[in-house]
Amino acid sequence: MKHSQDLESDVAEVLLTEEQIAAKVAELGKQISADYAGREVTLVSVLKGSLPFMADLMRSIALPLRIDLMEVSSYGGTSTESSGLVRILKDLSAPIEGRDVLIVEDIIDTGLTLNYLLRYLKGKNPNSIKVCTLLDKPARRLVEIPLDYVGFEIPDAFVVGYGLDFGEIYRNLSFVGVLRPEAYES
Amino acid sequence: MTDEATTRGLRPNYAFAHASEAEFAHILDFYEVAWEYEPNVFPILWDLDGNVLESFAPDFYLPDLELFVELTTLQQRLVRKKNRKVRRLRELYPGLRIKLFYARDFRALMLKYGRAALVSELSGTLGQVMPRPQADDSAEPTDGLDGLDRADPAAVAGAELHPHHERRTRAARRRAVRRAVEAAAQASAT
Repeated sequence: MKHSQDLESDVAEVLLTEEQIAAKVAELGKQISADYAGREVTLVSVLKGSLPFMADLMRSIALPLRIDLMEVSSYGGTSTESSGLVRILKDLSAPIEGRDVLIVEDIIDTGLTLNYLLRYLKGKNPNSIKVCTLLDKPARRLVEIPLDYVGFEIPDAFVVGYGLDFGEIYRNLSFVGVLRPEAYES
Repeated sequence: MTDEATTRGLRPNYAFAHASEAEFAHILDFYEVAWEYEPNVFPILWDLDGNVLESFAPDFYLPDLELFVELTTLQQRLVRKKNRKVRRLRELYPGLRIKLFYARDFRALMLKYGRAALVSELSGTLGQVMPRPQADDSAEPTDGLDGLDRADPAAVAGAELHPHHERRTRAARRRAVRRAVEAAAQASAT
């Protein structure tokens, strides 16, 4: 993969500006605060893509909350080829039994990872489990999963930025943009 | 669909008609999504005497999701035929959920998993593990089979048609349809 030093030049189109994202995150935080009023929610961020979203979302929720982090291996990753099966690379650091859990995702496309995560986390007997995603790409969906909080429904394009990567690059862009084909076809 | 045919977890050395299907199966295995390979044949066209003229066997059935998936990485001519078949399938079996996975979807999947470089060799003609001289997706079967009642396609859809996992030749498909017809006839007789 070849990317330029000026990451923004690899972006064909800005899909969501920093301001649009900030406004939407604030809106989601407000909604979550209302829905979980009187309760203590545990936000579970799915690494690595959801980190910026998690950092912003947690600060827009006006409730006592806990955070935790999980990472699961992705298909095609070199670290997983030996087993051929999805693996938990980083598990929760605290039990969630009896807790209200909100999974925080950067993007849902096929739903395969989320489907696996939901099955895994439900096995830990939380009181409730819901899903909050910044981006939803329904055109790619294989596993239909109810999404409780959705920031933006996006078109069928390869997007990067605000945590989303291609080859581990572009996560630090402050906006979400469509990657130029030349950036991944080279 | 049989319990034996439903698997969760890695299944190496499996016979597929196309490399893209093998890759897709590996992805499902990776995420522990149960799948069956071509478990059902659905008649989609009959002649005036009720003989089956054309049938369609979606590539995958995902039993946990109650979803059929048809993959296509071939040229546009074949995509049009598949589109027509899927449209026909939806008309005849409205309760059935099927997703047609186009070449662009497969490409996006490969891109997402950092395997874009493999797209060419897993797609189209290059991805054909074995030649399919009378491929099901391009050939329009004209062989009539007896005994199928067009008014009751669900009777055939529910039959156990293809519990094994071998690549389906045209002849095998005809045999499978024949078994379906026999099963439907037997069901209606009892």
